[in-house]
This record gives sequence, structure tokens and C-alpha cells, in this order.
Amino acid sequence: MELGDSVLDHLRRVAALPDLSGTRYELEGEIGRGGMGIVYAARDRVLDRRVALKVLDLTPAGEAQLIAALEHPAIVPVYEAGTLPDGREFYAMKLIRGARLDRYLAAQPNLPERLRLIWRVGEALAYAHSHGVIHRDLKPQNVMVGEFGEVYVMDWGVTAIAGTPAFRAPEILLDQRSDIYGLGALLRFVLPDPNPPALRAIAAKAMSADPAARYPEVPALLAEIERFEQGVAVEAWPEPLWHRLRRFASRNAVLLWLLAAYTFAKFLIFFLRKF
Amino acid sequence: MRNSMVGGSTMNKIVAGLLFGLLLGALDGATAWFYPEARPMLTSIMIGSSIKGMIVGLFSGWFARKVQSTAWGIVVGSALGLLFAFLVAAMDATKGKPHYLEIMLPGFVVGAIIGFLTQRIGTRHLAKQRTP
Amino acid sequence: MDADTAIGGPGDRFPSTRLSLIEATASGLSSEALDRVITIYWKPVYRFIRLKFHKNNEDAKDLTQGFFTTALERDFFTRFDPEKASFRTYLRMAVERFAANQHAAASRQKRGGDIEFETVGEQAVPTESPEQVFEREWQRQLFCLAVDDLRAHSEGCGKQLEFQIFQAYDLAEGERPSYAELASQYGVPETSVTNYLAWARRMMRSFVMERLRGTTAGWRELRDEMRRVWS
Repeated sequence: MELGDSVLDHLRRVAALPDLSGTRYELEGEIGRGGMGIVYAARDRVLDRRVALKVLDLTPAGEAQLIAALEHPAIVPVYEAGTLPDGREFYAMKLIRGARLDRYLAAQPNLPERLRLIWRVGEALAYAHSHGVIHRDLKPQNVMVGEFGEVYVMDWGVTAIAGTPAFRAPEILLDQRSDIYGLGALLRFVLPDPNPPALRAIAAKAMSADPAARYPEVPALLAEIERFEQGVAVEAWPEPLWHRLRRFASRNAVLLWLLAAYTFAKFLIFFLRKF
Repeated sequence: MRNSMVGGSTMNKIVAGLLFGLLLGALDGATAWFYPEARPMLTSIMIGSSIKGMIVGLFSGWFARKVQSTAWGIVVGSALGLLFAFLVAAMDATKGKPHYLEIMLPGFVVGAIIGFLTQRIGTRHLAKQRTP
Repeated sequence: MDADTAIGGPGDRFPSTRLSLIEATASGLSSEALDRVITIYWKPVYRFIRLKFHKNNEDAKDLTQGFFTTALERDFFTRFDPEKASFRTYLRMAVERFAANQHAAASRQKRGGDIEFETVGEQAVPTESPEQVFEREWQRQLFCLAVDDLRAHSEGCGKQLEFQIFQAYDLAEGERPSYAELASQYGVPETSVTNYLAWARRMMRSFVMERLRGTTAGWRELRDEMRRVWS
């Protein structure tokens, strides 16, 4: 028999649809494709609310339990996990209303806001690392900004091979430092076009090819960003002298102005005495 | 979330005020060296200036413990500086030629600096403060 | 999985479909593996050759046949390295090499190489590249075979009605009937229509996976290829 193109496309689509009979969910539509599965919007019949359902392709090692164990404002809460009639595993989680990071940046937020996003992602990573969970696939498509400005990091614990090349660390064995790489790549991604060299240097250090050359842990990277925001010297960037002076001047502007006023007053008096 | 405390010192503001006042007062007094007629009395000028500075520093530090505002600190400091400089200049005027401008203008600015510094440096409470 | 999905049921047509490609080769079943490959890949290879090398129907058929009989020696499968590419890509590249060699040999014989050119008749306007056509035909074959499997399975376990409804809806060209229309046409409640379709699609999905498993080297490639099929 022959299958026409339209039928083929239709079959391809329906074959992927999850069969939700026997669950409390009603399928509404596809939202997107994550690391190891497809995410659908569904309605929870019992609680009458919309949720996101992630249906996993093949059985990974307990991705749902992994995420459910983490409780953090930037990590999407898992409501339920189960097995579909066709054997695939799924889990239901909060449906995020908001924009993906790459689209959020289209609104041209200012630099402090961009750094805030990185900060939130970093906090989530630090929390996860302290619980032994590594993200492994950190990229703009996996970060969402909710309707209240809150930041979510999605798609945790994806296996190494599925990482996206541009944002994936080069080494084979992935551990915490690969997430450092990912965070650095994210930082570089959110930086606007004329950007401070100190931030570029931080991102570059986090993205060193040699894992040992990167920051040893996420809080270290965040501390660097904080130093930048406070106008203190950043370790990753050995700044030229004139820049260091400029920074010093901007931090201590008031004091310098007062000293200038004093000097000016003295000179004024000195010259006034002549007349 | 993030607190920028310069140095994280455990010195309280009144002490800080006294120290700054002493230092800046002495330096301000030392500039009298550029005026040849004042040079012979340099030592007494410096002492007087230091005391003036310390008094201004004392009050500024006390004020800084009560009110946390860089702007107001500058205002109070400069007002105090002006006041005490005026007193000194008045005392000096009885001795001979008045030098109101030479004393009050720098005194005003030094007071402002002392006011600023007491706002930024030193702790408000008696107990040692933990670094953030 | 329920008992329905036990493959190799009546007729036992593909006894070793559960084995992946490498497993089949390793256990010395490479002719089985070859069969499975041919079943899925014959048409895609044919269409690919037609489009890429501008062959007419007869020449393309010959080349396709030639490829599968001659070029697929025993170690064709063992030389396949799943780390480098999917089996599908590996096969397509082998076809290209084979056809290019034949092409070169033929043009050496014909001095100056005036190879016959014929516009690709059946396959419509080449808005797609030969590689895209190859992949599409591969998907088409996969689903064709899966639907055949489903048909046979339904007949085998007495679920012909389910299959008919599936055929009427999911295999319909053009406009699809509504669930209500199907319900009245086949004399079943509408909820049954939903259930039957769900069952049929679920089965079809597992059949596609089985077919796919036979031509992939491991679960990782299987998963990646599955993604290509759905997206």
C-alpha cells in the first residue's frame, strides 16, 4: 500500500501523541520538545487546571524522581509521575506561562536585568549541585521567564550525549564543571553587544576548554558577577591601569568631588589674596 | 541582598569621626604653611585645626549613628564645619586681621568630607558587627 | 504492555524483529538483517538514486538491485559505526558511493559520457533534495510496514473493527470524517471511536518502533531515529 504525504504527516503526528486514557489528564496540544521527550499542555481533570506533561521517549533513569526531589523557586515543581498505557513514562508539572530566554531577550532588557537572570539560574544550579544533581544541558531554550519575572530552569538531568553542541562542554565525563561551562555560555549569550570586558572575561573563564581552569563551583562565578556589580575588580579580568583608576573614581566619586572642592577652595583663596 | 561595606571595619562611627576629624583637621591646618605670614604659628594652627576637626567628627559620627543618609551627613558635616570654622575665625579676628574666608571656606568643605566619611565608614552599633 | 502487543504472533512473520541490527549481525543472522534492511530501504534507495543521479526508472531499479545484492557484503554491517552516524545515513552514503562508481564506470565506457537524462516523472517538483527525499521515503516505508503489521495483527486477534475505524480516520486522504460520523457509520458509541483510535495508534507506534529497531544499532540510535520520525 502507499501512503500519501498528508497521511504520512498525520500518522507521524498522531503516533507521537500520548495516550492519556486512564490518567486524569486531557491532552490539549504540544508545547515543545525537551531533552528526552516531548512536552504537551494538558488539563488536569481532577483539579481543573492546566499542566505541562512531559512524555519521555525511552526509559531514562528516574528523571521524574530526580526533579521532584528538588524544591527551589527556579526549578519547576513536579506534580505527578506515571506510566502511560503505551509504556512511556511521563510526569506532570507546573505549566509555565512566560517566555523562553532567547525570546525574552528580544525585548532588550538592560544589563542589570540580564545579570539578574543569570543570577537566578546560578542559584538554581548551586542548589541542585548541593543535592547532587547536574543539569548537563543548560542553554537558553531551557530557561524560561515567567509572567511575574520569575526564572525557571527546565529539562534537568538529561544524559550527556543529548546536550546541544554550542552550549555543551567539550569533555566527555560531565560533572558540575560542565554546568559551570553552561552558565558561562548563558552569560555570554545574554550579554548585549557593547558589553563590559570584565563580564566577557568571566564568561570566557567559565568556558575554558580545560575544566580545571573554570570556576570550581557556581557560587564562585556568582561572586565574580557580584564583584563586577559593586564596581570591585573581577578576578577573571586583569584590568588595565587606566580602567582601574576609572572604576575607582566612579566608586568614590563623592569623595573625589569633595576633595576637588577643597583643593579648589584653597587655590581660590590663595589667588584671591593676591588682589 | 548584597551590602557594600568598605573594609568591614568594626570601629564605631564616633571613633571614626574623631579619627577622621583629627587627620583631616591636621592636614587642613598644615596647609597654612603655604601662607608665609602664618608659618610661624603653624603648630598652634594645626593643633587648633585638629581639635576643630575632632569636634566636628564627634558630632558627625554621633549624627551618622542616628541617621543613615550620605546626603544629610554631608549637610550636617559641612554646617558643623562652617560653624566651628566661624568660631575659630572670630577668635582669630580679635588678634588682628580677619581671615574669615581663608578659614571658613576650607572648614566648610572639610566638614563636608568628615560628614561623608562618617556615614560610610564605621558601625552604628556598639557591638562588633559581623561582616556580611 | 498488554498481551496485545506480543509480536511474532500468528504467522510469526518476523521472528527476529526484536533484535537490533548489531545483535542480528553478531549472531550470524546477517541475511535476516539484510531482509529487514531491504524491506524498509528498497524504495527510499530507488527514489534517491533516481533523483540524485537523474536515472530513468529501469536504470534506477537496476542500480538499486545491484546495490543490495552486490554492494552489501557481509562486512557492510560490521563496518557500521553507530558513533559516527545513524545507520540510515551510513546506508545512504554507501548508495552514493556505489552509484557514483557505477556512473563513473559507465561513463568511461561511453566515451565523453553522454548519460541518458530523463526528467523525474512520478516524484513531483524537486523542492526537496535527494537526501530529504531519501529520509521521507524511509519514513513512508516505516509507516507503510507498520500499518501492514497493524492490519495483520488486528485480523489475528479479532479487532478488525478497530482497524477499519483507524483506516477510515487516520488513513483518510483529504477530509476526515468526524468521530460522530464514524460512530454512527459503524454502530458504536463515540467514546469507543476515541478508544479504538487510541489503541490503533498505540499499536502502530510500537510497530514502527519494532521496524526501526531492526535497522538501528542500539537504543540510543533508536531513540534518535525515533525523534527524526516524529518531528
